[in-house]
Amino acid sequence: MRLAARGGARYAANAPRLFAAAGERRQQLRDDLALRTAQDVADTLGTMKGVLMKIGQLASYVDDSLAPPARRVLSRLQDSVPPMSPELAAGVIEEELGATPERIFKEWDPLPIAAASIGQVHRAITADGQAVAVKVQYPGIAETITADLGNVALIRSLLKMAAPSQDVTALIEELRERISEELDYVREAEHQRLFAAYFDGHPTARVPKIIDELSTARVITSELAAGARYGEMLGWPQQEKDLAAETIYRFTFRSLYGLRAFNGDPHPGNYLFEPGGRVTFLDFGLVKHFTHDELEPLVHMIEALCLHDDPEGFRRAMEEADFIEPGAPIPTQDVVAHMSLFYDSIRERGPRAMTREYSSAVARRYVDFKNPLAAYAKIPRPYVILQRINLGIFAILGEMNATADWRGVSEEIWPFVQAPPSTPLGEAEGPWLASRDTRSRSD
Amino acid sequence: MGGSGGYGTVIPVTAEVFPGTGLFGRAAAAFADSIPVDPADDGFFGPGSVAWRLHADLSAPVGGLRSLLLQALHPLALAGVDQHSQWRGDPAGRFASTAAYVLTTTYGDRAAATAAADRVRKIHQRVRGTDPVTGKPYAASDPALLIWVHAAQVESNLAAAARYGLALTRAEQDRYVAEMTAVAELVGVPAAGLAEGGAPASVAELDAYLAAVRPSLATSQSTADTATYLIGMPDIEPELADAYAVLATAAVASLPGWARDMYGFGADGKPRPGTGRDPVPPEREAVRQVLGVLDAVYLGEPGVLEARQRLALRMRAAGQARTR
Repeated sequence: MRLAARGGARYAANAPRLFAAAGERRQQLRDDLALRTAQDVADTLGTMKGVLMKIGQLASYVDDSLAPPARRVLSRLQDSVPPMSPELAAGVIEEELGATPERIFKEWDPLPIAAASIGQVHRAITADGQAVAVKVQYPGIAETITADLGNVALIRSLLKMAAPSQDVTALIEELRERISEELDYVREAEHQRLFAAYFDGHPTARVPKIIDELSTARVITSELAAGARYGEMLGWPQQEKDLAAETIYRFTFRSLYGLRAFNGDPHPGNYLFEPGGRVTFLDFGLVKHFTHDELEPLVHMIEALCLHDDPEGFRRAMEEADFIEPGAPIPTQDVVAHMSLFYDSIRERGPRAMTREYSSAVARRYVDFKNPLAAYAKIPRPYVILQRINLGIFAILGEMNATADWRGVSEEIWPFVQAPPSTPLGEAEGPWLASRDTRSRSD
Repeated sequence: MGGSGGYGTVIPVTAEVFPGTGLFGRAAAAFADSIPVDPADDGFFGPGSVAWRLHADLSAPVGGLRSLLLQALHPLALAGVDQHSQWRGDPAGRFASTAAYVLTTTYGDRAAATAAADRVRKIHQRVRGTDPVTGKPYAASDPALLIWVHAAQVESNLAAAARYGLALTRAEQDRYVAEMTAVAELVGVPAAGLAEGGAPASVAELDAYLAAVRPSLATSQSTADTATYLIGMPDIEPELADAYAVLATAAVASLPGWARDMYGFGADGKPRPGTGRDPVPPEREAVRQVLGVLDAVYLGEPGVLEARQRLALRMRAAGQARTR
């Protein structure tokens, strides 16, 4: 144990920084508050507290959409969760992998390097010398949260309190399902494998590979990624930020159209940045898969509004997807005027800056239930998480003040356009795209 | 939860009947202020005590509310509160100061606990009169009344924990009752055995005491007013009203059957409508989930998390010292 701790410390000195914002706060907490038993976990995250944190995380498209008291409660709640003690985390490893971390790994850092929402991340070196990140789930958390998720009536009233302006009916089932999925690390690892395979060979977007034999229902071991945290990257030259933003954008929409999957957690803590626009994407606990039929109306909306300038077609597509009631007594021009803000960045070619003002405006428009359209509009369940992701991406790119020809990049990605590369990053994607084509042909 | 106003919104009708509001915020402030930052000593219980664990338990608000409901069944105890304190004028203020008193005597150092008890003794000296309902004279400093208030609180905290919180062994329950005699003595209960006029010092003594005191209990309009206020709680922040309602139901359901009967409540904690259906008490898990939500909101109030952490660190240190 002492040897491993020393090794861990030495290793930490050269290791990439992996501290999430929440992780940093947790590190400040005294070690003697650490969760030492499964009972401590239940006391801290049970009786709805873990569920509340997840709901807050999922229901807030951006912070603006949460009522201020709810925001305050959630932030304090996050502060109230200390890390697991080294012994408790080691106990989970032992139960899941069959031996103590010191036996399983060549080196094991007993101090967590980051906080995951229902677990924490440790650094380690495998027996064959590979540096890995090991995500360890809090013992008992899955049972605790699953039990609390059963109290639908309470969750419904909590959602109303947290986000009074939102329609909770569609949210609630989707949230329960997504949160249940997030408790299952086997599923999360599957998602990550899917994304890692899809982006394998991509010039700038990287997904750490899962180490299969060291991953279970409560432990996920993946390649250790390097890079700067979001906060640090914000201090980089604008040109670098633009490249990073373009990678995030490409990753997001390539996975939507290529994999029909969205990584549902566009949290700044889930990215690691390196110069040249290279971004590593972490945490695939919240992935939403879409059917072809679910994506189709979204495609029709883009085609109608951005390619054909066809307001009636746009409205029909919205009706087709149940976004608005057919025959709502709202002039089509008003529908388009209300909705077009969401498409502002992709309606015309040419460089456009995503700004914080824009992302706030989008979020405000999104929760603007005073608009006459609101009485006839809703967010059907398949799109609940998608919209959140969408707004989350806007918020992140807005914070980066990112400029790009978003329409040009989109046209490359849209399967109904498949335009040639419009940027150097697009050019660099060429070999990856070609190899993807070969692979899909050989499938 | 229910209600649409912002925090601190005053319901007009509430403002007229009960001027005090913001019960939850005031209770949270009392908590943050009562947990010492730099205590001179461990007070009358110490971090290894059952009292420290129990008074910080998730079930503590249920225990607190149940205490008040039980205490109000003694006409002379209620008359003292009703006629002398700011109870009618500012019940939420009285609520918060009671909470602060319990917390300071539990977690404060000896000087702080003694000072708080001295303040209460001083106030008690002025609280005397005649109960309009029974026509009997009363004095708040009467050890018999002090023991009633004390015993009702101790028994309530145990009952609430047994249903909705910490699972204590019989030995731990006995220890808690014995520990709590220290605060009874601080306010003037003689340091003597139960038979010699002291506070109960074990669960068995507590039960015997409650059985013996029951003939002195009665209800009146004043009791009904108090229960209406405590259960309806107009002073709670509107968003928390639904959650408070669950807490109140749990508190009533956990009362002894005879006390519920005196109030006319069923085992489900709700007024007895005479529907003929068996009343179902609220489930432990459902109550705990609501208490957890309230606890999370409590943590969002200024200073509460820090106070919690101060306590947790001291209790952890005591636990480690014990196991070493």
